[in-house]
Amino acid sequence: MAPPQSQRSPSPSQPSGKSEVSDLKLQLRQLAGSRAPGTDDLKRDLFKKVISNMTIGIDVSSLFGEMVMCSATSDIVLKKMCYLYVGNYAKGNPELALLTINFLQRDCKDMDPMIRGLALRSLCTLRVENLVEYLVGPLGSGLKDNNSYVRMVAVIGVLKLYHISASTCIDADFPATLKHLMLNDPDTQVVANCLSALQEIWTLESGSSEEAAREREAVHSKPVIYYLLNRIKEFSEWSQCVVLELVAKYVPSDNSEIFDIMNLLEDRLQHANGAVVLATTKVFLHLTLSMADVHQQVYERIKAPLLTQVSSGSPEQSYAILSHLHLLVMRAPYIFSSDYKHFYCQYNEPSYVKKLKLEMLTAVANESNTYEIVTELCEYAANVDIPIARESIRAVGKIALQQYDVNAIVDRLLQFLEMEKDYVTAEALVLVKDLLRKYPQWSQDCIAVVGNISSKNVQEPKAKAALIWMLGEYSQDMNDAPYVLESLVENWDEEHSAEVRLHLLTAVMKCFFKRPPETQKALGAALAAGLADFHQDVHDRALFYYRLLQYKVSVAESVVNPPKQAVSVFADTQNSEVKDRIFDEFNSLSVVYQKPSYMFTDKEHRGILEFSDELGNLSISVESGDSVVPAQRVEENDKDLLLSTTEKDEVRDPGSNGSAYNAPSYDAAISQPLADLALPSTGLTGQAPASSLAIDDLLGLGFPVGTAATPSPPPLNLNPKAVLDPGTFQQKWRQLPISLSEEYSLSPQGIVSLTAPNALLRHMQSHSIQCIASGRQSPNFKFFFFAQKADEASVYLVECIINTSSGKSQINIKADDQSSSQAFSTLFQSALSKFGLP
Amino acid sequence: MPVAASAIYFLNLRGDVLINRLYRDDVGGNMVDAFRTHIMQTKELGTCPVKQIGGCSFFYMRISNVYIVIVVSSNANVACAFKFVVEAVALFKSYFGGAFDEDAIRNNFVLIYELLDEIMDFGYPQNLSPEILKLYITQEGVRSPFSSKPADRPVPNATLQVTGAVGWRREGLAYKKNEVFLDIVESVNLLMSSKGVVLRCDVTGKILMKCFLSGMPDLKLGLNDKIGLEKESQIKSRPTKSGKTIELDDVTFHQCVNLTRFNSEKTVSFVPPDGEFELMKYRITEGVNLPFKVLSTIKELGRTRMEVNVKVKSVFGAKMFALGVVAKIPVPKQTAKTNFTVTSGRAKYNASIDCLVWKIRKFPGQTEPTLSAEVELISTMTEKKSWTRPPIQMEFQVPMFTASGLRVRFLKVWEKSGYNTVEWVRYITKAGSYEIRC
Repeated sequence: MAPPQSQRSPSPSQPSGKSEVSDLKLQLRQLAGSRAPGTDDLKRDLFKKVISNMTIGIDVSSLFGEMVMCSATSDIVLKKMCYLYVGNYAKGNPELALLTINFLQRDCKDMDPMIRGLALRSLCTLRVENLVEYLVGPLGSGLKDNNSYVRMVAVIGVLKLYHISASTCIDADFPATLKHLMLNDPDTQVVANCLSALQEIWTLESGSSEEAAREREAVHSKPVIYYLLNRIKEFSEWSQCVVLELVAKYVPSDNSEIFDIMNLLEDRLQHANGAVVLATTKVFLHLTLSMADVHQQVYERIKAPLLTQVSSGSPEQSYAILSHLHLLVMRAPYIFSSDYKHFYCQYNEPSYVKKLKLEMLTAVANESNTYEIVTELCEYAANVDIPIARESIRAVGKIALQQYDVNAIVDRLLQFLEMEKDYVTAEALVLVKDLLRKYPQWSQDCIAVVGNISSKNVQEPKAKAALIWMLGEYSQDMNDAPYVLESLVENWDEEHSAEVRLHLLTAVMKCFFKRPPETQKALGAALAAGLADFHQDVHDRALFYYRLLQYKVSVAESVVNPPKQAVSVFADTQNSEVKDRIFDEFNSLSVVYQKPSYMFTDKEHRGILEFSDELGNLSISVESGDSVVPAQRVEENDKDLLLSTTEKDEVRDPGSNGSAYNAPSYDAAISQPLADLALPSTGLTGQAPASSLAIDDLLGLGFPVGTAATPSPPPLNLNPKAVLDPGTFQQKWRQLPISLSEEYSLSPQGIVSLTAPNALLRHMQSHSIQCIASGRQSPNFKFFFFAQKADEASVYLVECIINTSSGKSQINIKADDQSSSQAFSTLFQSALSKFGLP
Repeated sequence: MPVAASAIYFLNLRGDVLINRLYRDDVGGNMVDAFRTHIMQTKELGTCPVKQIGGCSFFYMRISNVYIVIVVSSNANVACAFKFVVEAVALFKSYFGGAFDEDAIRNNFVLIYELLDEIMDFGYPQNLSPEILKLYITQEGVRSPFSSKPADRPVPNATLQVTGAVGWRREGLAYKKNEVFLDIVESVNLLMSSKGVVLRCDVTGKILMKCFLSGMPDLKLGLNDKIGLEKESQIKSRPTKSGKTIELDDVTFHQCVNLTRFNSEKTVSFVPPDGEFELMKYRITEGVNLPFKVLSTIKELGRTRMEVNVKVKSVFGAKMFALGVVAKIPVPKQTAKTNFTVTSGRAKYNASIDCLVWKIRKFPGQTEPTLSAEVELISTMTEKKSWTRPPIQMEFQVPMFTASGLRVRFLKVWEKSGYNTVEWVRYITKAGSYEIRC
């Protein structure tokens, strides 16, 4: 339970909390045996206090005995409170839970069906494995009870039992009983609960038992489906969802059956409950998949009910429905093209709704409505919150890229550039660039406007890269292109984004081929800066260009600046297989997340996700996600920009840095200004010792690990309260080269203790090494740690992969101060090796 | 599998746990911490009501000063989960008598635990109908224990009802005076461009009923909607009466309405629940009568002065009037001083929402009051960011007016004892999101 931050927080006010608990204990004990009138009222007050303490997180499990003693009462409210309490603490106190079995079993035989039901429900929530033997009897009689309330509770009870001990549940043959109930019980809630329980049990069992797999399929058989469908109106709205979900999986034998089912269910689309409407929609869509024309009619039919659901209810409900509508719009935009006005944003709508609407507006744009839609989108660019304004500019761009009436749209985009708002300019620049790649014929108009933009006003990496690309590509049309580029090169060191530096290199090259005399100086400076760059890709590209030029300038030109073909179609970001997967999982979280369920529910995938979430999504909001530029961007000429945004932002290993290369030999034959290039090679060797050390270690030639033979490092003290936010960590991790990479063995005890990874985190914390993210992909654990020197701000970053099967851990260390990384490594290793040892 | 919840938490705005109910073991007990640290205390809050943290998904909703958080670890049915929360809140409200906020929860937490136990079992929604639940979970139970007189315990009877065929109504109700109240409530959503072009306009309406009827009555409601009238004239082979007919884009009904009969005969017939409920919802996009038109001119005179002229015109009947009319006219953040003249109502500058708020308590039909204001701005040295003009927003209520023109033609009550009923019908049109760009 959570430690609350309330006024009764247990940490600072521990004594008062404790005394309160012992106080309660005393009072309960006094009341336990009392039969005086009014006792129940007193008990109620006390129980309420106990429950409220429990809710806010104070541990009141020490009262277990007294609570059980007081539970001998006929007051139903008291019973409920007591059951709640017992259910909460039984798991942690299995011996005490045994005490309660007695009175719960007795209550299961009470005259009053409510008490029987309640007792049975509570009995099943004890969740203690060694008590399951006491469950079978009451559950069996509960399923046969003549009161539907008790049966309803018993059915779910069977499911609970299955989760505590599957074998007990199967051995008692409960699934068969449930199946019988499902097909025969007069009460629909019992039927629905049977259906839910059986589906869960058989799905889980089907992996190991063929019979269960067969049974699971049998639920989808015609008699069962028809039986449920014919009673659908008797079911509660929630149970209808369960039944409809099942029907969606049914495969009818012929078309007339499909129409029968749809006719029967059509009125469900009028239901006030959005979940029922969605579930019905799913049935319709899935039944008609094989009939293209009917499938299309289904879209037409479900449009109005879904739009109604979107426009009523809370924003959260609308969002859930809108996500599904979004999926349908993406699948069949032409069907919704006349409904575009429904996707106009209201001023006060939450941004998550607006974002979906913008994407839908983009998708449904066609010849007839482009003008209205683009006009509306332009309103948002000026009017609403910044992320949405950005989205809407992007939306205009996307429409331009897929549409016909480009003329008007280009004008609009150019107007954006003149609005003089940083973010509008930034987004518009990126769009103009994409637009020019598709419609080079517009270059004259665009360049005239782009030329007026001062590069100083453009700060965002993506926009800056776009501007630089245009400067390079159209340098013959922009008078001052070489000089703008030159000033950008001068500020090379202040440019933090590798993407921008890569573009700058390429742009200067392109400019050089078009206007050599003016660009020579800038090119020399750019190549020099590029060769000295710590970023692997920038360095490599600079070196590549340098060697190309060295080889033959004309070849270099044909490589860097070949005649280009306009891009006709931009690649789709999500493949159709994934989309179909999501469609199969209609009416679930998959649609909201826009990814198939295995990506967020499977343990293996989750391991990675957990990690990337920690570093990525959690620390950096969706909005600023734009500024997180993929570390290595492939040159956009070759690869599509839109595609590259989805590339995983992984950290490449720059450990084999520079020293592997020979410093480029200087060839006097090449043009004069490149003479400056000799400089970087010396700059490069300056880095070499540190990196060669790393390489030696990689090859296993380094110092024997942890022996005294190593020259004793200067004592290294770490700051026990170091802090680093994930964003900074990520940035540093990308920038810094690996200064040390080693492999340790972990003690077997350590591996065993790793079953609870948190233990390791606490352990490392006690050595002033903090964990920033962790993840698991069997058999590996992956951790990212950081530590900070006690006396200065210099930090160490560690990537630690522990293989639990081999007992080895692979460690990569990056450090601000590389000279002390060996000392840190020793410290880290000694900390790690102590893990799991007493 | 449409599991709706593995755990439900109620938190106050500071993040203190008010209620915490774990239904399944597949989510850890510390989920509420994850919610606090990763959503509540970050700017993520409010960016999306569905969030994934680690392997768990969090659905959250804010209702007055309470967050309700649902945690699941499977691929859950989101629409169902949100609907469940909304329904649960409605249920709690009907128990507390209106308010649902932190205080109400603190005062009734035992009751809420009781209800949470009944309305969901192991993550599957069960019975949420207040009518039925109130039979065996009684608020009075907390004060006067009914265990003292087991003879008149209503419970055994209740369990029959819990899952009966007419799940929303119990038998044996008796009222001295049989009354039905019917309210048609419409909200108009409008988006108008600065040039007066209607960009988007629709009406979402709902019919609310309050029934105090004895026995098991059958009700039949007739509206002046197109399909219903056509069908009726078909059946009676009589030409449709002249007069306005309304085309409903889409209708949804309370579960009590017999949908089969609606589809075949186009009449709304139902056995109503006792007390208050929402009978139907509808949506209309064609032929909407806008109750108000707004004409505005906002001129920026230089860098420090603005001139605002707004005229609001009421276009409903002269004998009717609107109540609580508010027009919010946006002004820039750096507004220093404002001077108004209004021909009706009162206006003032509200700095916290950067708007001139013009209120007219009673606004007769066919009139057109105006507001003219001079706004002085503080001259700022910062960048010359042009002011993004948000739209003018309006609030109003117009009684006895429906923007759609929908009318109740008849409401028939039939019960086997044949008693007389009194029917009350009201109409009201409210502003939904009524926005005029300027």
